[in-house]
Amino acid sequence: MTDRAVIDQVDAALVGSAKLPRDNGVLVFEEPWQGRALGMGVVAMERFGITREEFRDALIVAIASHPEEADETVATAYYAAWLDALEATLSARALLISEEGAT
Amino acid sequence: MDEHDHDHGAEHHPIPPSASELRARALEALLIDKGLVTADAIDAVVEMYEHDVGPQNGAKVVARAWTDLAYKERLLADGTSAIAELGFGGMEGTMVVVENTPTVHNMIVCTLCSCYPWPVLGMPPTWYKSAAYRSRAVAEPRSVLAEFNVELDPSVEIRVWDSSAEARYLVLPQRPSGTEGMSEEQLAALVPRDAMIGTGKAREPERLP
Repeated sequence: MTDRAVIDQVDAALVGSAKLPRDNGVLVFEEPWQGRALGMGVVAMERFGITREEFRDALIVAIASHPEEADETVATAYYAAWLDALEATLSARALLISEEGAT
Repeated sequence: MDEHDHDHGAEHHPIPPSASELRARALEALLIDKGLVTADAIDAVVEMYEHDVGPQNGAKVVARAWTDLAYKERLLADGTSAIAELGFGGMEGTMVVVENTPTVHNMIVCTLCSCYPWPVLGMPPTWYKSAAYRSRAVAEPRSVLAEFNVELDPSVEIRVWDSSAEARYLVLPQRPSGTEGMSEEQLAALVPRDAMIGTGKAREPERLP
């Protein structure tokens, strides 16, 4: 089970452009899927041996390749990039191959 | 990468989900289908973050209303503007603040999906989204409240407010006794999330030694 310390470690590892969006120190979630995305990421890092640094680097790449669009808020753009990073790190472990493609 | 071409109808949802929301849902469904993660494991993490986001913004609104009568009047008349006065915006729809009194107890629910006042309360608790809460809050609010350890005198009227894309509700709980002379900051610490959903009450202050 994930505990509080893991949450703090993830928080500490996400630096630079990968920093979790906050307002006055309070995490910003605008819609529930953003929380689910964050939760999935943390669980995936725990389960699949994705180091926090590897995830952070993938996130920084994703953020850089998708600059925030005019009609997007910071949290929306951030968590869209978060999904990119999650898919990239999971794909690197061949965890997203569909059943039909599996041998 | 393989492309998933989901074509879900979402007519029940008042606002169409964004592309990112659909992606997040599809990814979660895939990971669960493959047995790689469980929804419970994700819930547990989300709940931890939910405490981090916390309902601090809502608690500040409540504390201000308890200490500033003119603010309270503005808050009850126009929730969106009064909440924006404290710097909290980004609300979808109109914010309506409903006041608990000795004779009326308010609670909020979203019977259709999980509309919730995010900017003031943070992440919704898992139970708020459960089918059981969504249906029972309307059908048998008094029993639901009892399960949350909220015992009300039978003479107290319970009003259940159904959130939607157009209107989000926030409950203004009753100020506990013994809090005279407390600062706004101290008062805000007495306001748990559930008090603002109406499934709880503000805490009594602890006696100082």
